[in-house]
Amino acid sequence: MRSALLHGFGIVSSLAYAGAVVWLYATQPRTLAEVATGARVAAGAYQVDEARFRAGQELFRREQYGPARDEWDRADPARRDARVQFYVAYAYYREGWGRFHHDDRLYTAGLQAVDHALALSSAAPLRVDDPELGLHTAVELRAELQAGLTTSLGDFNPMRTLEKRK
Amino acid sequence: MRDEQERVRLRRQAARVVLLPWLLLTVALLGGLRVAARDRSLLFLPPPLVTLVLAALLAALFVRARLVLPGRWLGSHLTVLQNVSHALTLLALFFASAQAFNSVLPEAGLLHWIFALFFLWTLWNDQFAPFDPRRLLRSLAVLFATAFVLKHLLLSGLAPGPEGGGWSRRLVGALLEGVTLGTIDVPAYAAATGYLSFFTLALFVGALALVRPSPEDQPAALAIVEATPVRDELGF
Repeated sequence: MRSALLHGFGIVSSLAYAGAVVWLYATQPRTLAEVATGARVAAGAYQVDEARFRAGQELFRREQYGPARDEWDRADPARRDARVQFYVAYAYYREGWGRFHHDDRLYTAGLQAVDHALALSSAAPLRVDDPELGLHTAVELRAELQAGLTTSLGDFNPMRTLEKRK
Repeated sequence: MRDEQERVRLRRQAARVVLLPWLLLTVALLGGLRVAARDRSLLFLPPPLVTLVLAALLAALFVRARLVLPGRWLGSHLTVLQNVSHALTLLALFFASAQAFNSVLPEAGLLHWIFALFFLWTLWNDQFAPFDPRRLLRSLAVLFATAFVLKHLLLSGLAPGPEGGGWSRRLVGALLEGVTLGTIDVPAYAAATGYLSFFTLALFVGALALVRPSPEDQPAALAIVEATPVRDELGF
């Protein structure tokens, strides 16, 4: 009986350890902190750091978009939260927006971030009810970023300079 | 007395069923781990294909040297749990072997293939040499120690450093004056990589020392003795 228990324990613990080894090689974490974050995600114990998220929002409202994104990166190091990724994309949009010209590099980064947010919220439409924002859904934000990256005849319309940043 | 024997038997079994797979899996984990010199970040390098070939040759050597007797490890005389447990241990042994080679193989370039050929040639020759488990262990310890010294002590110095390279780079540069080192492509890793590799190889050889030809305790050996009558000699 004891022998069977020992074998059973050996099998379960070996499979768990082997799974952890395969997971490490598949996910390629670069630091021990990333290993810890990944382990928390895998165990279902991962949570966004709300204090850092709010600090990022404060910076966002003061139009300090780069530092805001840094703060959100620290709040959601595994990039698993759709709401945080939506804000990251929004920060790229606001920073890249210009009355005469949009920054394609920032818009492209924003598009990647909003696509990631959409992928994370595939179960339900992503909606953020923040009165500070002009666009409340990820789909709207994506359309805005996509339109900014596309050159069309409308770009040469002088009335375009009267458009407001959302 | 019987209790004491039972405890010893359970301890031995725990070492083979739990400790041995864990040691082998730790080797499999650390064998591909490198620490980048630039930013001290971790790099997990999966085993290249050639290390799987080397591990297969080493597995054949384990069987030939009777370090592992496949018929005793797996078979219908064992329970399902025992078979599964032993199969997992053998699988872990295979991947630990592959990762032990990965640990001492240069990652790229001409040196990768020179080392791989050196291992292939040695293991192929060993297939035809008479080995017992103890000799095989000694031979493997020497093989890995040699490769470790070559890679982590001599060749790691060839990697370009902040001051243009280590002492072995300058030495090789002086010896091969005019010959390009372009084909000797040695990636720069932090010193921690060498320590990790040393620990991994020590663990691998230590784990091999725990491997027994038969993983389960065998009943006391039975000897068939042919008895000849001695009545006449005794004068009966």
